[in-house]
Amino acid sequence: MGLISGILIGTIFGIAIMAGWRQMMIYRSNKRISKAVDIKLLGCLNRDDLRKICGDNFPEWISFPVFEQVKWLNKQLSKLWPYVEEAARIIIKESVEPLLEEYRPTGITSLKFNKLSLGTVPPKIEGIRVQSLKKGQITMDIDLRWGGDPNIVLGVEAAVVANLPIQLKDLQVFTVVRVIFQLCEEIPCISAVVVALLSEPEPKIDYTLKAVGGSLTAIPGLSDMIDDTVKTIVTDMLQWPHRIVLSIGGVNVDTSDLELKPQGQVTLTIVKANNLKNLEMIGKSDPYVTAYIRPLEKFKTKVVDNNLNPVWNHVIQLIAEDKETQFAVFEVLDQDIGQDKRLGIAKLPLIDLEPEVEKEIELKLQPSLDMLKIKDKKDRGTLTIKVKYHHFTKEEQDAAIEQEKKILEEKKRLKAEGLIGSTMDAIDGAAGLVGSGVGLVGSGVVSGVGLVGSGVGIVGSGVVSGVGAGAGLVGSGLGAVGSGISKAGKFMGRTITGTSGSRKSGASTPVNSVEENGGVKPR
Amino acid sequence: MGVISTLLGFSGFGIGVSAGLVIGYYLFIYFQPTDVKDPIIRPLVERDSETLQRMLPEIPLWVKNPDFDRVDWLNKFIEYMWPYLDKAICKTAKEIAKPIIAEQIPKFKIDSVEFETLTLGSLPPTFQGMKVYVTDEKELIMEPSLKWAGNPNVSVVAKSFGLKATVQVLDLQVFALPRITLKPLVPSFPCFAKICLSLMEKPHVDFGLRLFGADLMSVPGLYRFVQEKIKEQVANMYLWPRTLEVQILDPSKALKKPVGILHVKVLHAMKLKKKDLLGASDPYVKIKLTESKLPSKKTTVKHKNLNPEWNEEFNMVVKDPESQAVEFQVYDWEQIGKHDRMGMNVVPLKELVPDEPKTVTLNLLKNMDLNDVQNEKSRGQIVVELLYKPFKDEDMPTFEDAGTVQKASEGTPPGGGELVVRVHEAQDVEGKHHTNPYVRILLKGEERKTKHIKKNRDPRWDEEFKFKLEEPPVNDKLHVEVASASSRIGLLHPKESLGYVDINLGDVVHNRRINEKYHLIDSRNGKIQIELQWRTVS
Repeated sequence: MGLISGILIGTIFGIAIMAGWRQMMIYRSNKRISKAVDIKLLGCLNRDDLRKICGDNFPEWISFPVFEQVKWLNKQLSKLWPYVEEAARIIIKESVEPLLEEYRPTGITSLKFNKLSLGTVPPKIEGIRVQSLKKGQITMDIDLRWGGDPNIVLGVEAAVVANLPIQLKDLQVFTVVRVIFQLCEEIPCISAVVVALLSEPEPKIDYTLKAVGGSLTAIPGLSDMIDDTVKTIVTDMLQWPHRIVLSIGGVNVDTSDLELKPQGQVTLTIVKANNLKNLEMIGKSDPYVTAYIRPLEKFKTKVVDNNLNPVWNHVIQLIAEDKETQFAVFEVLDQDIGQDKRLGIAKLPLIDLEPEVEKEIELKLQPSLDMLKIKDKKDRGTLTIKVKYHHFTKEEQDAAIEQEKKILEEKKRLKAEGLIGSTMDAIDGAAGLVGSGVGLVGSGVVSGVGLVGSGVGIVGSGVVSGVGAGAGLVGSGLGAVGSGISKAGKFMGRTITGTSGSRKSGASTPVNSVEENGGVKPR
Repeated sequence: MGVISTLLGFSGFGIGVSAGLVIGYYLFIYFQPTDVKDPIIRPLVERDSETLQRMLPEIPLWVKNPDFDRVDWLNKFIEYMWPYLDKAICKTAKEIAKPIIAEQIPKFKIDSVEFETLTLGSLPPTFQGMKVYVTDEKELIMEPSLKWAGNPNVSVVAKSFGLKATVQVLDLQVFALPRITLKPLVPSFPCFAKICLSLMEKPHVDFGLRLFGADLMSVPGLYRFVQEKIKEQVANMYLWPRTLEVQILDPSKALKKPVGILHVKVLHAMKLKKKDLLGASDPYVKIKLTESKLPSKKTTVKHKNLNPEWNEEFNMVVKDPESQAVEFQVYDWEQIGKHDRMGMNVVPLKELVPDEPKTVTLNLLKNMDLNDVQNEKSRGQIVVELLYKPFKDEDMPTFEDAGTVQKASEGTPPGGGELVVRVHEAQDVEGKHHTNPYVRILLKGEERKTKHIKKNRDPRWDEEFKFKLEEPPVNDKLHVEVASASSRIGLLHPKESLGYVDINLGDVVHNRRINEKYHLIDSRNGKIQIELQWRTVS
């Protein structure tokens, strides 16, 4: 009897212990989990959360800007700056010098750093924003401001001047740097880093140029040339959607997805404009439209004389590399003697377009794209366009990349032959022989016509006028020959703007012909 | 009868308890799931006040203290990266553990040890604030407040004699306040040579440990004991001022310390070309080490001599014998105008055998371009003797922290010492007419000056001066004055004082070393950072 009752009591006791232990386990486990949840929530508080926690005692020094402030990082940076400056000097010299060489304008034979010091003022990080726009990628935007006192002396060698030191002073850089980290499942977990400057807000890089022991006027147009070089490097290499891709050592991954590639094609029909502003003294404006996605690749319509409600019905095709951020810009200009006047400008963000759907859009023309500069609120008329976005399939994309490669090779070949002085020069269907008036038809690929003066450029100053003739070898292989009188660029016949599709990594081979090629007007 | 019944009762109880425990174990523990579910996270706004109350002790430091900075961007970054980090870390951990396990298990007669699950969970570590300290030393100090309350699940299965034992670690929580010090700062990327880690407080550690599915940490008292043990262990190792040091750069390389001395003896030159119109050239030799900022050394000028004999000796400090080269340039001295270069050549230091003198005869070249046709023309020859002496390990200047005071150099009088004044930088100095600051240091009538820095309100000199003293300067003062000189030679505003400060040297003798920013007198906001060291022979 005693045995049975003992067993019974013992069993109940044993089970009770276990039940108790289990209760304890659940209790502790719940406690840990709820704490984990709390910590997780407190790791990313926002304003409402904090208000709820703190109630009326909300700490007043706390704010939640879009770009989070990083005072501590700035403190560290200013302390570290003298060392960073010294270390960066060598790296900048090694990495930027070849770039300068590649982008150097025709008139200059050599562009090197004579002296490079970044000064005593460290850059300031105004804020950092981290987001994940795509799976497997982290996007970090750094709002960077640097009003530095660097001492940079560029040694410029040109045909006429042996060596002219140019000092770059009072540098100011205001930009948002976008850094994208491509993640992978291998330590250090980052397989590639993409660096670019955000185009919105536009990077602002200001500086003053000063010639050391001489005058900037020794080479006419020199400061413009340096400005242009800097601007081209920035916009064509760094400004989003252009980017620099760095792969982190050790991990072998395909970074081709990160590179900028032709993504789609925008077929635009510039139909008409209404109620344009009259800028002419006598008669009415003679409007035409230039359209572009990348500013170095502009397309132009016919000029409609003496009309404020012109109809063009002009079809052009533009290549888009990044639908999310890029936009097409339409500029309505009045053809005039001398500088053409702007009648209005409008932009169309590509992100609004639905693929494969043709849409007619009426755009309101503005005096400037920069909203801050718009002063008058007068109506400038409207522009009607039809637009269709076609997203490239894999094959089409590959074809576009191939074409891009071809252009690059063509450029390299021409450079090797000495036809163009640097890869910066336009390689269009035609190399215009300035002065002689004879059009030399090259074996170019791009349909634009540019006046390429290098090699044959007239050394001198002022505006050289010449006859340019050119042929674009386009798509089918047939060239549409257009010719016209054009003014050569500011210096040595350097005309890379206008409608000529010239740029370094051009992804821009228009597949179809553009008729109106001749008579390029330099900007 | 009563005794037997009681005995039976007790033994029955014993059997009953063991049976009960087994039944209870199967009932309550064994058949319960062992996997870890992701916790459900409800937004904070939906919480009631009671659960909010529970959160209050965990409020991040950046909310409570204005001197802590919010680092939510970093938290977000880690959050996005966490799934990848998790996989990468687990993979590496498995790879590292495998050979160790393979080596160990035969000793214990265990058939296999395997990770059943290994994941760090879905909750990443968070930083609840970041604080940095700014000192005048060459270091960066930051203190992030790290909190990781994760849901990792690590279970190890060991098999032996047909039995299976599982050990599972889950719900690990680590709260710590580490201090990260980067020092010393060096002028090559990543700009610091060492990372020092230490904990400012004892860390809080909590976790669940399941053996055969039962959480041992739930046994009352055991958890507290284990936690104390862990805290103590970690505190012993890393609690401040104990540190964990991670070397990033080789300090001697990073700082470019001298590694040897090059003795150069310029013997003579032969068959130099005539450069002057009247009479022979007046040659002299300039000797320089490449990649060195030190000024080049010059021999004397031998007038009207095309086969000059110098026999002059020079010593140069070598920093990197692999890449540096010694450069000889023969110039023609002129009374008026530019001195013409008659020829040059270089000897890379790696061609020299250490501690072995070598006499070399060099053909003089126009320049170092191999393809230049002008180099084929004979320009004469120069004969030099070179000897490279690397520092022996004992006299190699060992890498020292900024905080330690070196011994005084040779020639310091016994009983006295050497006062080393290092002028780092100044801030916000401004002159009325010009700001080209330099520093003038006065001690007992002895005056030293730094170089001028043109047009700079925040100049940085980094210059060192040494004063040899017969006795400790207990009652002396060091006069430090920042002055500005006009960049042009003008009679108007030639020189201007931007501020001064008198530093009591008694403190320096007592402390051996003082590194501080002083406010300048007669200046609006100016400050100057001066490092003072008192070095004695012993």
